[in-house]
Amino acid sequence: MADDLVTLTIDGHEVSVPKGTTLLEAAKTIGEQVPHYCYHPGLSSPAMCRLCLVEVEGAPKPMPSCVTTVMEGQVVRTMSEEAKGHREGVLEFYLLNHPLDCPICDMSGECDLQDYVHLEGRKQGRGVEPKRVFGRDDFGGDVLFYGDRCVMCTRCVRFMSEVEQDERLTVVERGNRSVIDTFFTEGLEGTNWHGNIVDICPVGALVSKDFLYKARAWDLDHTPSVCASCSQGCNVMLHTRDNLVHRVKPRENLEVNGWWMCDHGRMDYEWINDGNRLEAPLISEDGVSRRAVGWKDALGELLGRAEELEAASVRAVASARASNEDLGALAELVGALGGGETVFRSPRAQEELVLKGFPKLARRKDLAPNVKGAELLGMRRVGDDAGAGGLDSVAEHGSIVIVLGDVLADQGEDFGAGADLYVYLGTHDSPAAKHADIVLPVTSHAEQEGTFTNHEGRVQRFWPALQPPGMARPAWLILGALDAELTGEGAPETAAELFGKLSDAVPAFGGLTYPDLGTQGASAKVGAGAGS
Amino acid sequence: MTISVKVMKRPAPESTSYLRAALSGMALTFKHMVNPTKVTQQYPEEQTELSPRWRGTHVMEVHADGRPKCVACGLCPTVCPANCIRLVGGEDDQGNRYPIVYEIDEFRCIFCGMCQEVCPVEAIHVGRHFENAEYTRDRFVYDLDRLMEQDHPSTLLWDPSDPAGE
Repeated sequence: MADDLVTLTIDGHEVSVPKGTTLLEAAKTIGEQVPHYCYHPGLSSPAMCRLCLVEVEGAPKPMPSCVTTVMEGQVVRTMSEEAKGHREGVLEFYLLNHPLDCPICDMSGECDLQDYVHLEGRKQGRGVEPKRVFGRDDFGGDVLFYGDRCVMCTRCVRFMSEVEQDERLTVVERGNRSVIDTFFTEGLEGTNWHGNIVDICPVGALVSKDFLYKARAWDLDHTPSVCASCSQGCNVMLHTRDNLVHRVKPRENLEVNGWWMCDHGRMDYEWINDGNRLEAPLISEDGVSRRAVGWKDALGELLGRAEELEAASVRAVASARASNEDLGALAELVGALGGGETVFRSPRAQEELVLKGFPKLARRKDLAPNVKGAELLGMRRVGDDAGAGGLDSVAEHGSIVIVLGDVLADQGEDFGAGADLYVYLGTHDSPAAKHADIVLPVTSHAEQEGTFTNHEGRVQRFWPALQPPGMARPAWLILGALDAELTGEGAPETAAELFGKLSDAVPAFGGLTYPDLGTQGASAKVGAGAGS
Repeated sequence: MTISVKVMKRPAPESTSYLRAALSGMALTFKHMVNPTKVTQQYPEEQTELSPRWRGTHVMEVHADGRPKCVACGLCPTVCPANCIRLVGGEDDQGNRYPIVYEIDEFRCIFCGMCQEVCPVEAIHVGRHFENAEYTRDRFVYDLDRLMEQDHPSTLLWDPSDPAGE
């Protein structure tokens, strides 16, 4: 492979990169970020923003680094006075018609125009002519367009034509009147990936209606997570403030979702902010009234009641929205309590929505993040495509019934009425938990550490972004503590420790550990029916 | 260590008179009665002249149609070193960005005036005002309506005829 490497000098550093690499990408390897608008690694490069100009020794004029490929022995200067001068001139053109309405622009704080002008632009503008004004336009879907802020990089047009492959946007008019527009009355309505054009817009021309004026970019904390909307497992960032998720942005992972995510997943965050949560363990002595107790009492009561039962058998209902750790701890506990069957339910969509320009990525049929994980841990899928039904044997079970994470929306109040011990672990209360002897509050995936296994068996970590409400704790911590009491082994103290144990015990996880997974996740080494 | 008390020797009462000292004291009093130099200020009838650099409780400027000038850009809560400004932005019926909630906790405020300095639309100002007494503590959290109603003048650090300070 050594033949395919090209060695060149960028800003005095010698770099070796594969043949065909652009100067811009080569500069990234030494940490030099050449300013650019129209270039995006997931799109074609038209070299039309003219901002990524760099000085190449021997070339008669500055070269756009996003399309100029590396050559042996080339000497490139990205930060020389000449290169900076070219870029300063280009930036001045961009500001000729830019309204400079940063105070009311949602992009402010994460805007490439703001950053580059501060970095390399003129300190004082020289424009005297009036600026042209377009006003704002509703593009349909979740997108608003502010034409005055646009820098005409056409990333959005190229995304719709190259990646989504549903041409809804185009450039109309010429010269300084040119502007992005939709085709007549047909907007972005009905497309499934248009939220991405808001992400890739380098300025505040395309903004999200959902996020409009809600928070400033610099106020938001970013936590890496995994989208819980389907089994694709898109890598995302949860943007939070005041213990609320304000928006969800895709996180780059070329193996799973590239730079993109679908609009369904992007908008599927309000349930995380829902304030109507279970906040304390509840015990019911008579099956009618419940009282809140501390964790020690709740778990002690649970173990006490379980001990009274002779020859217990367990029926458990898990959820495909629970993490591998939660499900693994549940499986252990079911075994320790006398063994039994664990089932789970998950809604299934009619069809997959594939992103044509990046076919690895699709909104999968299984609308829960950890269906594969539950299956790998030996749980049986029941119920119909709406995620309902299939629990008759559990509802009538007489010994121990455990429910984890499933709100049992389709079940009546008499669910589990005949059980000797009915334990309900959930984020939200449910009418079907009326007969629960013990109700334990657990955290959502945004409030705990853990992993999901996506549709192809890739295990991906997520991190806690929010403070859990009240006394809610991760399910793996609760179930692990109960299991430790029953078996006499030590309770897991971290999710990493529990996953390590799980990974040793379950061949599908093939000895993976949290450090192996990193931020991008990893597929289990043992072939676990990948690519289903 | 023993503590010793110094005992002053006083003149015997029958051998001294306080009349002379009393008269000289009265003379000073009468002198001040006719002296034009006044020291005592007749507050509140007479108001103190505030320093040109005085920074008091805030004022929110309003447009002619009664809307606040604030565009909810979020710079003042960001720059505020005392963290006393709470702002929730939103969209009004004309599609403009505006503050749904704008509250300043005047107890927390240290009156540094950076909110005024950072404001891109000259909306929030510190005022030439110091009489802020209230009967309850919660009245010191000024909401948007209260800030817009404040009728005292803005600080002289800001010249309305030259808003950008050029």
